[in-house]
Amino acid sequence: MSCQWCCNPESQKLKPVITYQKMRCIHCGKCIKACRQGAIDPNNKGLINRELCIGCGECANVCPTGALVLKGAGMTVQQVVQELRKDATTYRRSGGGITVSGGEPLVQSDFTMELLRACKEQGWHTAIETTAYADGEAVEKVLPYVDLALMDIKSMNPEVHKKYTGVSNELILKNAVRVSEITQTVIRVPTIPGVNATEEDILAISRFAKTLHNIKTIHLLPYHTYGENKYELLGRDYLMKDVKTLTPDRIQALKTVVEEQGFECIIGG
Amino acid sequence: MIEKGFSKPTARVEKLKKMILDATPYVESERAVLVTESYKETEGLPPIMRRAKADEKIFNNLPVTIRDDELIVGAITKHPRSTEICPEFSFDWVEKEFDTMATRLADPFVIPKETAQELHEAFKYWPGKTTSELASSYMSQETKDCQAAGVFTVGNYFYGGVGHVCVDYGKILEKGFRGIIAEVVDAMMKMDLSDPSYIKKQQFYNALIITYNAAINFAHRYADEARRLAASETNSTRKAELLQIAANCDRVPENGARNFYEACQSFWFIQSMMQIESSGHSISPGRFDMYMYPYLAADKNISKEFAQELVDCIWIKLNDVNKTRDEISAQAFAGYAVFQNIGAGGQTEDGLDSTNDVSYMMMEACAQTKLPAPSFSIRVWQGTPDEFLYRACELARLGLGFPAMYNDEVIIPALENRGVSLEDARNYCIIGCVEPQCPHKTEGWHDAAFFNVAKVLDITIHGGKAGDKQLGPVVPDMSQWKSIDEFYDAFKKEMAYFVRHLAEADNCVDLAHAERCPLPFQSAMVDDCIKRGRSVQEGGAIYNFTGPQAFGIADSGDSVYAMDKHVFRDRDITAAQLKEAVDANFGRPVGEKTFGADPCSSTADALTEQKIYEAVRKVLGNSSNIDMADLQKMCGVKDTCAASSGSGDYENIFRLMDNTECFGNDIDEVDMVSRKIARIYCEEVQKYTNPRGGQFQAGVYPVSANVLFGKDVGALPDGRLAKQPLADGVSPRQGKDVKGPTAALNSVAKLDHFIASNGTLLNQKFLPSALAGDTGLQNFASVVRSYFDHKGMHVQFNVVDRDTLLAAQKNPDQYKDLVVRVAGYSAQFVVLAKEVQDDIISRTEQTF
Repeated sequence: MSCQWCCNPESQKLKPVITYQKMRCIHCGKCIKACRQGAIDPNNKGLINRELCIGCGECANVCPTGALVLKGAGMTVQQVVQELRKDATTYRRSGGGITVSGGEPLVQSDFTMELLRACKEQGWHTAIETTAYADGEAVEKVLPYVDLALMDIKSMNPEVHKKYTGVSNELILKNAVRVSEITQTVIRVPTIPGVNATEEDILAISRFAKTLHNIKTIHLLPYHTYGENKYELLGRDYLMKDVKTLTPDRIQALKTVVEEQGFECIIGG
Repeated sequence: MIEKGFSKPTARVEKLKKMILDATPYVESERAVLVTESYKETEGLPPIMRRAKADEKIFNNLPVTIRDDELIVGAITKHPRSTEICPEFSFDWVEKEFDTMATRLADPFVIPKETAQELHEAFKYWPGKTTSELASSYMSQETKDCQAAGVFTVGNYFYGGVGHVCVDYGKILEKGFRGIIAEVVDAMMKMDLSDPSYIKKQQFYNALIITYNAAINFAHRYADEARRLAASETNSTRKAELLQIAANCDRVPENGARNFYEACQSFWFIQSMMQIESSGHSISPGRFDMYMYPYLAADKNISKEFAQELVDCIWIKLNDVNKTRDEISAQAFAGYAVFQNIGAGGQTEDGLDSTNDVSYMMMEACAQTKLPAPSFSIRVWQGTPDEFLYRACELARLGLGFPAMYNDEVIIPALENRGVSLEDARNYCIIGCVEPQCPHKTEGWHDAAFFNVAKVLDITIHGGKAGDKQLGPVVPDMSQWKSIDEFYDAFKKEMAYFVRHLAEADNCVDLAHAERCPLPFQSAMVDDCIKRGRSVQEGGAIYNFTGPQAFGIADSGDSVYAMDKHVFRDRDITAAQLKEAVDANFGRPVGEKTFGADPCSSTADALTEQKIYEAVRKVLGNSSNIDMADLQKMCGVKDTCAASSGSGDYENIFRLMDNTECFGNDIDEVDMVSRKIARIYCEEVQKYTNPRGGQFQAGVYPVSANVLFGKDVGALPDGRLAKQPLADGVSPRQGKDVKGPTAALNSVAKLDHFIASNGTLLNQKFLPSALAGDTGLQNFASVVRSYFDHKGMHVQFNVVDRDTLLAAQKNPDQYKDLVVRVAGYSAQFVVLAKEVQDDIISRTEQTF
């Protein structure tokens, strides 16, 4: 599943990935010498031949200007918890905790489950941001360690859903029932013009939310372009280039639809 | 519903505020003329008597000025926001700047020709008689050399009075000046005439009687002036106000106050007269809510609104006080700052929460007046009511830089560690920027010196040399170090040497003040001067300290870490190569900024990048097989990868060092180095004692000296370029804390704030959007509490976005009312020198 508006596209390959910032490049050629896959191609607009690149990061290590950066790293649960522990006082003081996000945490369900369990052992509040696009086993395995699930529903329409995310919505809607039964759930809707930003779409999602277990709040996340430049860094095309962000009036109108169905609605989450 | 908003000030307060913001600061000559006249008349008298006679002449003859619309009276100068001169401390720098002070970069003051003439005449008396000259005569040449090289400076107390005190406002509010005189008479009667110490005590007591008699008269002169103005006042409301003012001034501060209005007026007379007696700044009102509240509670006739207006009026008066310094010091204390620290909240002596109505009125006054003064602080402890902390965060969110927040749980034990009793420690207040002390019992000599730790590092790198001069002990220079231990050996030797001379410098100044400028008006209000029969300057206070403050900690820590990692552990470069690069300023022109070296942010570099890109595109368009060498020739790009082992490869060394992890990102390995460096300084300092029988105690804060003194420091191993600003206080280096606010706070908390008992200073900057709404306030408050859980001592916030600051630089007239946090104080942004402005802008903005 890959949404066209994804603002963290670097997470989609589930492996570390190289980003290339043209403006910083001084064409020194050190990367070409460092790469053992022959994946650096000066003819290529994005410099990296993504077919050959294995994301080893050797080029980033030698790049003197930081034009090449490796995004993502392999870490054990223990290493992650060590980082998280640094803010433990703030979780306690603020009533906050850990949110596992992405990408899609359920795609690495074993790791996510172990991580969340370790967090619960520390007494921390846990949350997860998920599309719930995963097999039922992953849901059953992970959700018991989650205090708050922030679950996305993009569209009730299977064709629209498939067109813009690459997959249909049946599995997601089925999982939504289980997710809301296991743990406190908030429904989130990335609100994208041309995809689902109409009163009808929002109403359909709100009605669906009513059938789930104990949903009190729906977040509308208005489309933003903060992730756009990441596509260039990854040498990819941004398919939402021509989409404009929503006006405050439109957002307010959609908020009213949600509220009329009896939910609390928060813009931006 | 945590957010409550603040109310608007009254029309009167708006008018008074405008008077302050529109004021042109002047230098006035009356005090200098009067003190000189007095000294000429008292040639044969002991120093304390000469000071008393000087106070008497000044209190009896300084012009009395009542400003339009004010409710609280007492002015140091005729023009608002102006300054007097105290030649008894030093004067030649004023003489030098007669023609330039009006147009200088930092803190300009107008000196009219007539004023200059009068000052010039007065100054003729003083050569050979000032405290600064006496202090200088005590100093060894080595000590003077250290200051000239910029390792440290004791300029603050050298050029002017000491200040940095919180006197016993509460006692005067209760007993009046008559109460002081009664105490003095009582002490005189109890003197043991068979003990020769009575001789000097007698002089001291006589001095107090003369001074306080004149002080009573000072207020009466205001009563007379108010009556005079009332007689010709046509507006009946104003006439009534003036008559009330007269009645107040007849009554206080001669006697105890009977209501809240009298308490406010009495308070202000103390505050202004302290700053007439001496040019020492940081005269700090301290725990205003503790001593004022009883008068508010007992006053059954006053309305809440009028009480608030009175507090607002006091806030306005606090901004009327100004001080001029020599041009260099003006840069270090930029922004017409006098650092009057006033605080709310905390604990009582018995360890109970002390928050009251006045605590909230003070925050309201800050929000309503929105001026740079006073330096408003709050004390936070485990028992601080959430409501109080949220309100303080709401105030901080306005972006004025107030309040600064202090942690009882660190400060109280730190003071006890210095010999302060539990009750006295619980009663602490803040002086000036960030210095904690027990009020009206302490001569803390806080702000005793600026000590440049990064300069000591610079000197150590060069084997004890500053430039060509062997300034410190001879040690192996960086190129000869074989291990990090050899660095620490050398560094500790240099530190010991420079701290010894620092202590000497401070003690020379200390002796000079005791011999030539003991202060009777101040001393009567500090315990135990009356009991002991001697002035504060001569050791009359119960607690005595000297507090020199260090800065450049993060720069030194990051440099040592980077050097250790790349030279000794990973062996990326040799010590000799690093030294060469540092000496060559990493191949950059001296004066180039460290931040903004990013090609993406510099316009000039971006154009070059663009040209290269265009050229490459053109070439690629023509041919699909490209030779890198050809490409480089086409673009005119030097082949930087060839010079990997040559000594000209400064750019690569720079990038290597600059990309090293820094203090401020919650990485133990890195942070502990800064901790170690800070401790080396603090432990060295606390070995020394002062002539008043007290101990030296270190602080870590720069005021705004980190910008100025950065100019004395060459390039450092962490990649900081020569002459660039150093990190401020215990804060991470500007722009280097990139892991969010909690990481920055965690790093700072790892420094040992307990032994930096003279105060530490941490600046954090937030965007307004990060703190919006109730959620923003709650997050803000929890960040403060968790930083304090981690044993941080102090934190203050700038909440303003970068665009506003940049706009204010371009159009200062439109942003006259923009107040920002500089260091331990706030200032009008547009009056700051551009370099200090740039430094504030460069501080990292945090979001949650």
